[in-house]
Amino acid sequence: MRRVLLVLLALLGVSLGWSGWQARQALADFPGILSAYSAKEYCSCRFVMGFDPAYCRGYVKQWLPLGLLAENSAQRLVTAEGLGRRNQAAWQGARVGCRLLP
Amino acid sequence: MLDTLKALLATLSLAVAPAWAEDWPAPDWQTDPTPIDWQAVDAYAFPPDGSLRTDALLIIRDGRILHERYAAPTTASTAHLTWSVSKSVLATLLGVAQGEGRFQLQDPVARFYPPMQAHPQVRLGDLLHWASGLAWQEDYEYAPLHSSVVAMLYTRGREDMAAYTAARPAAQLPGQRFLYSSGDSNLLAAALRGMLDAGEYADYPWQALFTPLGINSAVWERDGAGSYVGSSYLYLTARDLARIGLLMQRDGRWRERQLVPATWVAFNRTPFALAEAVPGEANPGGHWWLNTASPGGARPWPHAPADTYAALGHWGQALYVLPTQKLVIVRYADDRGDSYQHDQLLERVLAALAGEGA
Repeated sequence: MRRVLLVLLALLGVSLGWSGWQARQALADFPGILSAYSAKEYCSCRFVMGFDPAYCRGYVKQWLPLGLLAENSAQRLVTAEGLGRRNQAAWQGARVGCRLLP
Repeated sequence: MLDTLKALLATLSLAVAPAWAEDWPAPDWQTDPTPIDWQAVDAYAFPPDGSLRTDALLIIRDGRILHERYAAPTTASTAHLTWSVSKSVLATLLGVAQGEGRFQLQDPVARFYPPMQAHPQVRLGDLLHWASGLAWQEDYEYAPLHSSVVAMLYTRGREDMAAYTAARPAAQLPGQRFLYSSGDSNLLAAALRGMLDAGEYADYPWQALFTPLGINSAVWERDGAGSYVGSSYLYLTARDLARIGLLMQRDGRWRERQLVPATWVAFNRTPFALAEAVPGEANPGGHWWLNTASPGGARPWPHAPADTYAALGHWGQALYVLPTQKLVIVRYADDRGDSYQHDQLLERVLAALAGEGA
């Protein structure tokens, strides 16, 4: 009985390890999604669609809170922080709107 | 003599009358003053409880505005994010390029976009059917961890979205299976660059499509590599998106000019034969969505005619074309749920028009 359990546990460990290995890239990327999404879509909301800051804050709001969402209106630059990551998006021109900065 | 001339002129003007009678938004949309009761349409699109959040509703018949309504802060001058409606507009832009002889559907994508040499069998027609065969997970907020589109737009792929897509492994043979993929659309946007001379790409959407149509509001964002985000990031006013709809409704003709070949519009409107019908879901054509009946006979939107087709985007963005009724309908929204039903809106619009003059 104990031996069966051990085999099962070993199998579980191997399969978890394998899927974890596969998911490692996705897991590493995950914390950056919130701030990147917020910076990019807030930038476009403000400087492409031309809506006001209060509306755009609501527009990008997700179920996870942001630590920071700040705009530099003169430079049309947006900074967002959340889940320990920071991303910036900036307006690039009248035809090309906003883009996430590298 | 003068009388003869007058008579001649009158005859001539009668003879050319049909061409002149056709309405075009040049420079601006005309309004059709026919009184129609839009109450049921507005009650659905703009519910007081906010269960649907329509930002704009614009109904055009045969080139004239029948009904137009906006919800703050969106106005007639707002260039609104179209999300995946961008994909179908990209396909129409590619139609201009095809009419200029720049490519054929059966051309390998790698001819125009070298990183696709990793998948030499994939053809431009496959991308237009969302059938590249590349592994892809198209989910937005519900499964962000494994979403290819989230990775493409916001993390790993954002600097070069086409390269990110081309680096995906093949999951299927190309051209065999429909798998909705924003990556396929961005491969098309990158391939377009390879069809043009150096330096032409930045201006091409304007020179080829927007300017001839009188579209002044377009913003099309690009990735870090400078490729248009063909999958997601085109912004237009509702009135300007309706110009794309009118071009499609009139089979690619804009006034006297055949801007997009009629055969290309026919391709956009032909169902991809290998796509399996999903009940209630519009069928994929050539990067446009079709209301064609499934083999069982049911149409995805039962109250709309079978020749209805559409460009559709996240959170309820839609451009519908009903060629028989000569209708073009734009809906912009910020729906954060999935309760919006295309069929409901179209049913109510058609019912309002059926009651015309009653």
